[in-house]
Amino acid sequence: MTGPQIARRALLGTALAAPIIRPSFAQGSDPYIIGTLFPMSGPNAEYGSLFTNGAALAIEHAAADNMLRRPMRIQAEDTQALPQQGVIGMTKLINVDKAHYVLVGFTSVSKAVAPVADRGKTVTVNGGAVGPDLAGLSPYFWNVIPLAHLETQAFIPFLMQRNLKRIALVYVDDPLGDAILGLLRTELPKAGGTLAGTFSIPRTAQQFGPVAARIRQARPDAVYIASFGAQQAQIIKGLRDNGIRTPLVGYSALSIPTVTAMPEAEGVIFTSQKFDYTGGSEITRRFAADFKAKYGSEPGAYNANYYNAVRLFALLAKELEAENATVDGENLRRTLLRVREFDLVGGKGRFDDQGNMSADIQVNEIRGGRVVPIA
Amino acid sequence: MLFLQLLLQGIQTGALYALTAAGFALIFGATRIFHFAHGTAFTIAGYVFLACWRIDQPVLGALAAIAAAVLFGLGMERFVYRPIQRHEGSFFTVFVAAFGVAVVVQNLVGMIAGRGFASVDTSLSMAEEVLPEIFLAPIFWVAISVAVVLFAALSAFLTRTHAGVALRALAQNPDLLRAYGLSSNRLSMLAFAVGSAMVAPAAILTAMTTGLNEAVGHHVMLISMAATIVGGVGSLRGAALAGLMLGVAESVALQFVDTQWAEGVSFLVLFAFIIFRPSGIFGVAQTR
Amino acid sequence: MIAYAANLATIVAIFAILAATLNFIVGYAGIFSVAHAVFFGLGAYAGAQVALLLMPDALLACIAGAIVAGGLSLCLALPALRVRGEYFVAASLGLQMMATTLFSEAKAFTGGIGGLVGIPRPTLFGIEVGVLPLALVALALILFLTARLQRGAFGRTLQSVRDAESAAEALGKNVAAAKTLAMAFACAGAGIAGALFALHLSFVNVESFTMDQSVLVMAMVIIGGTGTLWGPVVGAIILLSLPSGLAFLPFIPPTEVGAVQQIIYGLAMTLLMIFRPAGLVGDLSKGRATS
Repeated sequence: MTGPQIARRALLGTALAAPIIRPSFAQGSDPYIIGTLFPMSGPNAEYGSLFTNGAALAIEHAAADNMLRRPMRIQAEDTQALPQQGVIGMTKLINVDKAHYVLVGFTSVSKAVAPVADRGKTVTVNGGAVGPDLAGLSPYFWNVIPLAHLETQAFIPFLMQRNLKRIALVYVDDPLGDAILGLLRTELPKAGGTLAGTFSIPRTAQQFGPVAARIRQARPDAVYIASFGAQQAQIIKGLRDNGIRTPLVGYSALSIPTVTAMPEAEGVIFTSQKFDYTGGSEITRRFAADFKAKYGSEPGAYNANYYNAVRLFALLAKELEAENATVDGENLRRTLLRVREFDLVGGKGRFDDQGNMSADIQVNEIRGGRVVPIA
Repeated sequence: MLFLQLLLQGIQTGALYALTAAGFALIFGATRIFHFAHGTAFTIAGYVFLACWRIDQPVLGALAAIAAAVLFGLGMERFVYRPIQRHEGSFFTVFVAAFGVAVVVQNLVGMIAGRGFASVDTSLSMAEEVLPEIFLAPIFWVAISVAVVLFAALSAFLTRTHAGVALRALAQNPDLLRAYGLSSNRLSMLAFAVGSAMVAPAAILTAMTTGLNEAVGHHVMLISMAATIVGGVGSLRGAALAGLMLGVAESVALQFVDTQWAEGVSFLVLFAFIIFRPSGIFGVAQTR
Repeated sequence: MIAYAANLATIVAIFAILAATLNFIVGYAGIFSVAHAVFFGLGAYAGAQVALLLMPDALLACIAGAIVAGGLSLCLALPALRVRGEYFVAASLGLQMMATTLFSEAKAFTGGIGGLVGIPRPTLFGIEVGVLPLALVALALILFLTARLQRGAFGRTLQSVRDAESAAEALGKNVAAAKTLAMAFACAGAGIAGALFALHLSFVNVESFTMDQSVLVMAMVIIGGTGTLWGPVVGAIILLSLPSGLAFLPFIPPTEVGAVQQIIYGLAMTLLMIFRPAGLVGDLSKGRATS
């Protein structure tokens, strides 16, 4: 993908799109379109509603605060977490709905739509997938979630401190699992631990009894789970049912209700972005209180991340409205790089040159169906 | 020791596979209908049981699960397969129609019961160390005894009762059966009812062990079909044995290969059988 | 809007190639393969690797895709020569499942689940081209070849194999060669579709080559009408534009959009099979092709 080609494509794109875009500028009250590319059906649909909930609450808050002159509206496209569906949805969002900002989750979908975002100069934000290969896909592809290697890195000292030295890794062999495998392989020995065994599983695997038998042979102090979605719940139940009593640990993908609500998940320890819902900033507390009022459950990291993604848009667009500048990809990016630090749920979110957010990491434990920060 | 543990786990999984496979084999053998929505009956039964369990009605749940599976099987026979077969649809047409139903039900279940993982929370599935390094859950014994009892009942039904014998005859020569004045329509409804009922116990036990999701039917379907072919079409015993074998192979394979290959093993077995012994374990050599 | 339509048209054209080639073996040779996505995937990976390692020449990528997919079609030809009907469907399902595992694990060739990223835009003799015209040309070529082959001696041999294999053999037709050739042609076509798909998306991973995809292509053939020239194309257009068309309906709650789409799509498949099993185009032609 070389420079001149992108430029040519983009020129062609704007030339075609221009006559259609222009009329909509006349009406100042037209909503800002926040496109979403989430799985709304299929096995990962649970994430789709989690992501949407967070984004919807941010829109309500922005409207209540009169942050922007124009309202925001969600335009949902179902990806089923599949790349091909993602590209179709993304071209529709850019060309038909004229989305100002697109929210995306899932590594493979993100990677597939990033070139489209790049050509259409439409800011696309990931708040769900944490594969380290998502950094720097395009100037218009940002991450409002600390990528997985940051989480695992911050986790290792905690494991050592808890005297969990021998770690067995159950992982799906995708870029995310690979990254965690690589990190544990190099960083664990440095910190004084060992990688006792690695167990790659297909994404569609459902039976974990036999895997549990193999894990028991490795005699680990803790089992690290690097999967996502409903499969995590199946792994946890499969391991616990089949005689694995050692602590189960993992990363932020574990913070979904399917996992936290199951009795077998009691005591599971995982990292996530730092959120202090009771003692944190005013924005954080308001988010937590209103989320609970609206959806009747404690917010999870994903709710917060997509709330943050939309809040980030509102903050950037507010700056642009004040300058009387157009709210488009180029201006959003310019403003992001100028401001760099934003008040978001969980505290300050800092963005690097590529548009990746870094934030503090906390360690959580699942206790009685709730996620409790422990370090 | 690992081998014994894997073998026992494989038997537990295999017993459930055997039940669903026998149901599929019964339907396919008797009616020649490639019941691709067999896994869907499994999904429905599992979720019906789950709903009843959550309101503390396990016995009612089990009955309701069986009833739901039977009703679904009958509905498929009456409203989907029979109209298609009336104009001599190819088996491929049947396959597509059933797949459409599977897609519809999967999404309806997702909308109604919620998407993602759901399981029945019971201590039955909690394994204890029975021998050094060997963990077994009480559900192991439940699964085995349910499978044994059901197979005994099924073979008694097929050999001792009038309807059962007629079903076997339907599999062998439908024209002759018609000549004797028996209604093949009613018999194929019977095949669907019995075959679909067989998935309910497996669905309930699966809800307790590995848990359910709305797409669980796909896997069930693939395994049932593979077992039917490996066992030899027309042979219930073959399908059940092959189901058991696939479960064991999937589990014991972990002794020899890395974990990610476990699922591939079942299908390698299937592929090898089709190429080298297409008639299956118990099947008669077919001139197809 | 134009870019959106062009993107959709490209996808439709690529899937029409897939459906047309599958129809060639299903409709004319009676080989019911549920593993077409495997060859689609092989072509996609081969095309992507050529574009990534050598040069992004579309013709070269398509040829590589066709050779790899056509060559490996022997994997499927082998069971096709031994068994028919349900047995073959099961064999192809087995192949499909094994291929999915292999695609996820053979990282050097496929990039694993992470897939291959940054596939360059295609060129033709050094000039950058869009995928849409390429896909349309390939589709036209494949339809033309299908029509020619079907009317020629080869097509008649195939049809005799489909309708009465033993009789064809008794008449001295080389059944094995005919079946193997038909498979190679269809799979090579799927390979070309794969290469174009890779160049169009600039990203491929195993999720595009699963059983669901195979079944979708199969549904296109069946809904359009097996054994007809235009049926698969019609099927591809309908099945691919159905979800996109539904996405324009505003009254469906956003969280249920996907589920509703899938339900309509499933229902359409079932109802069509019950009330119009010959497919939408089927009745226009001489008669039912499948037995």
